[in-house]
Amino acid sequence: MDLSRRGFLQAAALTAAASGLTVACGNGSGSAGTKNGKNLTMWYWGGALSDKVVAEARTHFSKQVKLTVASIGGDFKQKLTTTLAAGTSVPDITGIKGEDIASFLPNANRFLDLNDLGFKKVSSQYLEWKTKLAQTEDGKQIGFPIDIGPTALFYRADLFDKAGLPTDPDKVAAQAGTWDEYFALGTELGKKLPGTYLINNISSVFNIAVGQGTERFIDRDNRFIGDQDHIRQAWNTAVRPYTLGIDAKINDNTWNAAIGKNLTTELGAAWHALDIEQAAPKTKGDWRVCATPGGPANQGGSYLALPKQCRNPEEAFKIISWILSPENDARGFADAAIFPAAPAAYSMPAMTGGDPFFGGQKVIEVFGPAAKSIPAAYEAPADAAVMAPFMTGLTSIEAKGVKPDDAWKDAVAQAKQIARRQGVK
Amino acid sequence: MTSPPVTGPAAVPQHPGGPGPARFRPRRTPPAGAVRPTRRRVLSYWRQYLAISPFFLIFIGFSFFPVFYSLYLAFQRWDGMGTMQFVGLDQFRFLWSDPVFWLSIRNTLVIWVLSTVPTLFGALVLATLLHSVRRFKGFYRIALYVPNVTSIVAVSIFFGAVFSNNFGLVNAILGVVGISPVPWLSNPWLIKLVIALLMTWMWTGYNMIIYLAGLQAIPTQIYEAAKLDGAGPIRTFFQITMPIMRPIVLFTVVISTINGLQSFSEPQVLFGSNAANPNLGGPGQAGLTTLLYFYQSAFVNNDYGYGAAIVWAFFVLILVMVVINWRVVQRGRKS
Repeated sequence: MDLSRRGFLQAAALTAAASGLTVACGNGSGSAGTKNGKNLTMWYWGGALSDKVVAEARTHFSKQVKLTVASIGGDFKQKLTTTLAAGTSVPDITGIKGEDIASFLPNANRFLDLNDLGFKKVSSQYLEWKTKLAQTEDGKQIGFPIDIGPTALFYRADLFDKAGLPTDPDKVAAQAGTWDEYFALGTELGKKLPGTYLINNISSVFNIAVGQGTERFIDRDNRFIGDQDHIRQAWNTAVRPYTLGIDAKINDNTWNAAIGKNLTTELGAAWHALDIEQAAPKTKGDWRVCATPGGPANQGGSYLALPKQCRNPEEAFKIISWILSPENDARGFADAAIFPAAPAAYSMPAMTGGDPFFGGQKVIEVFGPAAKSIPAAYEAPADAAVMAPFMTGLTSIEAKGVKPDDAWKDAVAQAKQIARRQGVK
Repeated sequence: MTSPPVTGPAAVPQHPGGPGPARFRPRRTPPAGAVRPTRRRVLSYWRQYLAISPFFLIFIGFSFFPVFYSLYLAFQRWDGMGTMQFVGLDQFRFLWSDPVFWLSIRNTLVIWVLSTVPTLFGALVLATLLHSVRRFKGFYRIALYVPNVTSIVAVSIFFGAVFSNNFGLVNAILGVVGISPVPWLSNPWLIKLVIALLMTWMWTGYNMIIYLAGLQAIPTQIYEAAKLDGAGPIRTFFQITMPIMRPIVLFTVVISTINGLQSFSEPQVLFGSNAANPNLGGPGQAGLTTLLYFYQSAFVNNDYGYGAAIVWAFFVLILVMVVINWRVVQRGRKS
């Protein structure tokens, strides 16, 4: 392992050259310095928009502006926050994830009010509850809805058949209309097919059960309401499959291996279908979708926003309203499983086809009505942070066998502390 | 440090200012005044200062400033973008009564002990073995060092797959032998064990190389003399090798303490796929280390003030641990 001087110099020169290259590449992607209304940059993350539609938008608007798109990896919210706080090299158009939009609302002054640019005229085309989540209390609209995540019950028709249960989506939906009926169905499944489970973990039930209500953890007057009945009921609902022994207690990436094997049903949003398809390609044709027990909820769904530094607001707004027009939104569903926030898209051919993974079922017949009847709930900026201890509590029940009542007390105490820390009364 | 070590630099004669015997200063100009020549002397080295300035400029910009800015942040409430609000010692008061913070400290300390002890012990054993190896020296050195230069994320994903509860390799092997599956990634103690094992895997080679360098610096005459005096290999190790290696052991202990207490990527990646609760250290928060809790508070919950308070409290803890380590190892030197 002797290193000669020549060898060292060569290595050093190579390293220097390599780092020079990296710097050059780094400069290339971040070229947002020029002050020219003809150049616009757009930030989004892989899978947020249909890449085909974005590519077409670039050519469609190439006469007016040069649109540079950057697919930002890693922690998107963090990178956007840092850039907005720094105030330079801010993208002209940016994506914001659904779970982060609430935390950007207190800083709505960092963004342009889309209503001033003409969103008011088209807002009726988009689901009202989704639009409202990106609106400040005084009516400023900072986000243009891209997609939503209406939930549904995914189930294995072949296993249902084996257990002698109905397999038709309408019949299953009727038999699993409420959480209680759904769990009763699960108990029966567990008896007929030993070794299988109804749900993967109880946190997913809690998440949906909370989303089915009109109130969450903090109310509009900025008061903590996470210890009240509506949350307690969602908690009790979540704990029930655990006590019934129909909970697979999967809290890690082994879900990938379990989904094709011993899970009979799966609760999730429309985009979750893609996860199932990727994790268990062999079960193609065995799955069906029906309405969520107890009513639909929403999980995720993003927005496009225009930061205050946007160099050409009129053109930028034209671009985003073109990308997110119902027609193009519908294509996003076919390309990238992005479920449109514009109900008009639901009746377009791109969405009404049968899905071979679900045995040719027309899944829009389940997700479409669900999307329209999702309850509008107020989501406070600190909502996600306050919800976290409840999720931790539920995981502790599954992993450590903590008594549900003790876990509830701990979760409420912790949530209260986090709320106080974040300035909630 | 309250009492300086007896055999320390106290023996060096001190020069309390004034024109004493200027042994260390090259005298270019006669000392006419007290202030001006010093400044001129400093200025006359401007090329040298210029040459070393890039490091210091980058250090000031990217390390020094952020460190003290975070101290300022610890007394504010800030969501990263909006206006800051001065809250005095509130963040530290929250910290004191936050059970999750104390849990994270306990987790960090347990993981640190579980990883550092086997790492340093294993490194010493391996270094001794490797020191006496005659053939394939280069191969062994590289093979043992490779884990350290592998990406932590890749290693964590690999460990996550190997120790997976339901479908992992370890449980599959145990199943063949007839042992029922072990909940590696959900039992609070086993979670810590897996994280510690991962860190041991990564850092043993690094410390081994340092020990090996130390061993090679010991002249062979000493060993020959010990042999002539009739000392066996074990006695030689404890009475010759260990005392000479003490400064190197001290170095590795301090570095391992600083590294080991800052475990973050390991639990972050291992439990990042926990859909319900990423960044919370897995089931029961058993893998929630203090730095992971800091990350979660500041960057996930947008509570930058509280995050800053966590890291500053943690900084004090690391400082205390390093001083304790230092004194423990130094005390051995006196006796």
